[in-house]
Amino acid sequence: MLQKKICLLGAFSVGKTSLIQRYVNKLFSDKYLTTVGVKIDKKQVTVGSTDLTLIVWDIAGEDDFTSIRSAHLRGLSGYIVVIDGTRKNSFDVALALHKRIKTELGDVAAVFALNKADLKAQWVINHEHIHALAQLSYPVIETSAKLDQGVEDLFMGLARQLVPENSEV
Amino acid sequence: MSSFLSSICRNINLIAFTRNPIGQFTPCSAMPDWLVFFLVKPEDTGSYNLIEAFPYLSCFIEDAEQHWQAKCAEPLSSGVWIEIDELEHELPLEASVMYLDGQEVLLLQQLGEKYTQDLSRLQQVRNGLLTQEMLESEVKRRTLEIRKREEEIAIKLVSLTSLRDEETGAHVRRIGLYAAVMAKALGWSSEAIDTIRVAAPMHDIGKIGIPDRVLRKTGVLNDEEFNVMKKHTEIGANMLRGTKIPVLAMAVDIALNHHERWDGTGYPQGLAGEKIPISARITTIVDIYDALVHERVYKKAMPEDEALGLMQDMAGRHLDPHLMAVFLSLLPAMRRIRLEVTEENEERSDLEETEEVCV
Repeated sequence: MLQKKICLLGAFSVGKTSLIQRYVNKLFSDKYLTTVGVKIDKKQVTVGSTDLTLIVWDIAGEDDFTSIRSAHLRGLSGYIVVIDGTRKNSFDVALALHKRIKTELGDVAAVFALNKADLKAQWVINHEHIHALAQLSYPVIETSAKLDQGVEDLFMGLARQLVPENSEV
Repeated sequence: MSSFLSSICRNINLIAFTRNPIGQFTPCSAMPDWLVFFLVKPEDTGSYNLIEAFPYLSCFIEDAEQHWQAKCAEPLSSGVWIEIDELEHELPLEASVMYLDGQEVLLLQQLGEKYTQDLSRLQQVRNGLLTQEMLESEVKRRTLEIRKREEEIAIKLVSLTSLRDEETGAHVRRIGLYAAVMAKALGWSSEAIDTIRVAAPMHDIGKIGIPDRVLRKTGVLNDEEFNVMKKHTEIGANMLRGTKIPVLAMAVDIALNHHERWDGTGYPQGLAGEKIPISARITTIVDIYDALVHERVYKKAMPEDEALGLMQDMAGRHLDPHLMAVFLSLLPAMRRIRLEVTEENEERSDLEETEEVCV
């Protein structure tokens, strides 16, 4: 079976672990537990006629004290950059990470997740920011791990980019 | 390995492996209980495929190979990763590699309490950072709210004069936006840019104190009438003076000095050159531009190239030549404001939407 390594990246506390938990285990917890190190999960999906195993790497969020090791990006087929809609800083971190990966790995499949859609009334990420993301030519999907909104679309949006076009039906 | 060293390894949850020529790992200390679940029982070689058992190591093995090839005795760490054990507990692991006595060595450690402490420390730091971010964001939101209110109050104040003279709401709004574009190009702080955006529209507020016979006269003003009209600069400044609100302090400068001229022939004080506050010099330029290129009941709109020609002639005499050059370099932005902020558009959209488009 086709196996692809994907990473979830983003600032700390944007909801990377929650999105994976929701997608892989159908679970959600409101409590923020920071991630230290890397957690790896697997999820089998089908894209068209192709069965695919996503090896999902949950990498600790970026902050002033923690930055992502280049080694963690080895063998990467695609990545999801997660932004917390309520925190402008997470938008800046997302763009910086995306730029870094483009520099280190070149063109790799990617999706941007605008997470915490359940808190939309508190969003500081506005149309201008979303427009700037859309300009990068990668899918931008609003998600809420809490409400299970857009989570399936997010991962499938990336999975579809990982399967050669003629394998899709 | 001696039983003494084995005990130490057991106590710190560590196991040492050496790598054989086919890339498998042979334990050289006792197998800890926590590891058994992850390792497939070895065949007759007594060695294990650790990369298969721990996919995380796939990203580390390239660095490890280089480290072994360089025969480095110092440990190289893999970084922490988490596995889920047979009890569905999280198990924090870390590998280190080194080259010792001609052997490629890999140490695998279950971090246990050390990880829990690091996690707890980082959690506290990140909670603190989140609180800080939240407070900063709240301060920013409230500051924006105050700015918006200040702007609304300024526009309302200015609208009092527009009831009496011919200036439109869109004109005063454009003046603020043009001035903000100039300030941004001059490298002002975002706070100062916001301030001039709100302050510049108040430049003619003193006209409220000019009698109708002068203010609304359609013909040319005589000397006496012109002297009365000139008073609007001081009246405006006096109206706005006496508060500690930064935007009004700048508005005083602009209202008082926007008819001063670079060569000192302006009024009310006859200031020259850089003695005229820069906020007023900016406002003078953008006010003249907007007045020339728009129609009024008493005059037709001047074509832009003609207006700019006229203004270039005024540079060095009436207008600050350096600021005039800056203005000309910003013409595309000025045109956007001129075309977007019209009476019709103002009626259609609220102030905030327009601001987003233009600034």
